[in-house]
Amino acid sequence: MNPSRRSLRLYLSNKAYVVGVPIITLAAMVLVSVLIALVMGIVVGLPLPHDVEEGFRNNVGSLTALPGFLVSMGALVVNRNFSMALAFGSTRRNFWVGTALGFGLTSLVTALAAVVLLALEFLTHGWFVHTHAFDVTAMGNGNYLKTFAMTFMLSALSLFLGALFGTVYRAFGASATTVTAFAMGVVIVGLIAVGVWQRVRVVAFLADWGLWAVVAILAAVVAVVAAASYSANRLATF
Amino acid sequence: MTPTATEASGIRIQQLRKSYGSLEVLSGLDLSLAPGHIYGLVGPNGAGKTTLMSTICNHTFPSGGTILVDGEDPAENARVLERMCFIHEDQPYNDVFSVGSILHVMPTFYPEWDEALARRLVTRFQLPLERRARKLSRGQKSAFAIVISLASRASYTFLDEPYLGLDPTAREIFYEELLTDFGAHPRTIVMSTHLIDEAADLMEQVIVLHEGQIVLQADVDDARSSAYVARGLADDVRAFAQGRDVIAERTLGRILSATIRGQVTAADEHKAIASRISLEPVSLQDLIAALGIHTLTSALTTENR
Repeated sequence: MNPSRRSLRLYLSNKAYVVGVPIITLAAMVLVSVLIALVMGIVVGLPLPHDVEEGFRNNVGSLTALPGFLVSMGALVVNRNFSMALAFGSTRRNFWVGTALGFGLTSLVTALAAVVLLALEFLTHGWFVHTHAFDVTAMGNGNYLKTFAMTFMLSALSLFLGALFGTVYRAFGASATTVTAFAMGVVIVGLIAVGVWQRVRVVAFLADWGLWAVVAILAAVVAVVAAASYSANRLATF
Repeated sequence: MTPTATEASGIRIQQLRKSYGSLEVLSGLDLSLAPGHIYGLVGPNGAGKTTLMSTICNHTFPSGGTILVDGEDPAENARVLERMCFIHEDQPYNDVFSVGSILHVMPTFYPEWDEALARRLVTRFQLPLERRARKLSRGQKSAFAIVISLASRASYTFLDEPYLGLDPTAREIFYEELLTDFGAHPRTIVMSTHLIDEAADLMEQVIVLHEGQIVLQADVDDARSSAYVARGLADDVRAFAQGRDVIAERTLGRILSATIRGQVTAADEHKAIASRISLEPVSLQDLIAALGIHTLTSALTTENR
C-alpha cells in the first residue's frame, strides 16, 4: 500500500467525525435558517413574503457555519494523528500527504452536501417557508458550481489553516503558534486595508469576475497555507 | 557474548547527541544492537531512555551523531520507519478514535499484522473495543500499546515502560505473550523498564543509560554472574568477606547481606558452609542498585571486552 494512504486510512478511521459532522453542521445551519424564518413568520406570515425572502439572500450561515469546526478538526488531526502515524512508522511527508488527501476528501463531501442541500432548497421552495440557506449571494445565488466551489475552498482553507496552527505548535511550540496567529491577523488586516485603499479596482475586479474571483483568491490562500503547513510539518516532533 | 550490529543489519549509533535548549539529554552516545534480540533499557528517570528510542525512530531529531538502522539513516526514510513500532508511554491518540477503530486500521500500517494475536491479547487484557483510546485507564493504555506493539510484528519494536499501571496478572500475560511471540517470530525488541528483576528473564541484554550515556551493555547472564550475595550472621559474613570486593551491604537485625564482586568458587562454597553462610546469586536489580551505575560499568564492561 502507498505509505501516504496509510495516513489517509487513519484519517478516515472515524468517518462520522471527518465526514458526518460537517454535513450535520450544514444541515443544522439550514434548520437555524428555517427557525429564524418561522419566528419572523409570526409577524409577517408564512411562507415569507417576497421582500422578506429576498432579505434572506444575505444569509451568510453557509460561510460561517463550517470554519469553527473545521479549523479545530484540522488542528486536532495534525496533532493527534501525527503522533499516532509516527508511532506506527510513518514519515512526516507521508503523514502530511495522506492527511492532505483526507482534507481534500472532507472538503469534497462537504461541498457535495452543500450542492445537495441547495437542490433540496429549490425542490422545497425554500424549505417550505421561502427561506434561503444556500441560494444566497455569498454562494452564487443558486449556481450549483459556484456553491460547490465556494464550499470546497472554504472547507479546505479552514482545515489547512487548523493544520498550520497544529503543525506550528508541533514544530515550534505554543509561543510560535501565538506569533503565527498574530502575524496572520496582521496580514489579514493589511489585506483589508489594501482592499479599502484600492476599493475602486477591487470592486471592478469583483464585478468582472464575480464569485469566481473570491474562489480563485481562496484557492491561492489554500495553496499558501498548505505549503506553510507542509514546511512546518517537516520539522514537527512527537 | 555481546551481540553487535553489522554494517548492514541492526542498529548502530555513534556519538549521538540530543539537547533540548541548554539541557543535554544524550551526550555522545555509542550503541550497537544486533537484530533479533530483546534488549532491556534501564536507567533512572530522566536518563534519556525515551529520548534515545524517539531519536532512533525519528520521532525527534538528533542534535548530532549518526544513527543507522540496517545500514540506512532512518530520518524520513519510509523503507526503514515502516518496519518500526514505538508507542510512547504517554502516547496521544485522536480524541474521537476508539480502540477498535485504531486496531482496524493497523493492518494498513503493518503488512505482517497478526489479527489473531491482536484479538487474543484484547480478550486477555479485557480491553473495551468501543471505548475511546484516550479514555482508557493507565493500565489499559499500557495493554493497548502492548497489543499494537506485539501484533505489528515490526522488525524493530520499542516498548516504553510497557508494564505501567498493569496489575500482576496483566504483566504476567504480557511476559508470556512476548516470549511466545518472540520465539515464533524473532525480531529486535527494545524495552525500557524500571522493573529490572521482573523483566530480566525476558531480556537477553541489559543496557544501562545514565546521564545521556550508555554506561553498561552486557548479557544479562554475564551481569548476574559477575557478583553474588553472602548472607548470614553479621560477624560470620564479615569474616568471610574479608579480602573480597564487597560492593554493598544490607543488614536486617543481626543478619547481614553482602554483595560481593566475583564468581563463587568451590573453595568459597566450602568456606561458606563451614561459616553457616548462604551464597546466593545476585539479582540484576540488586546488582545495579548495589554497584551504582558508574561502578557497574567498570565491573562488567571490562568483563565483556
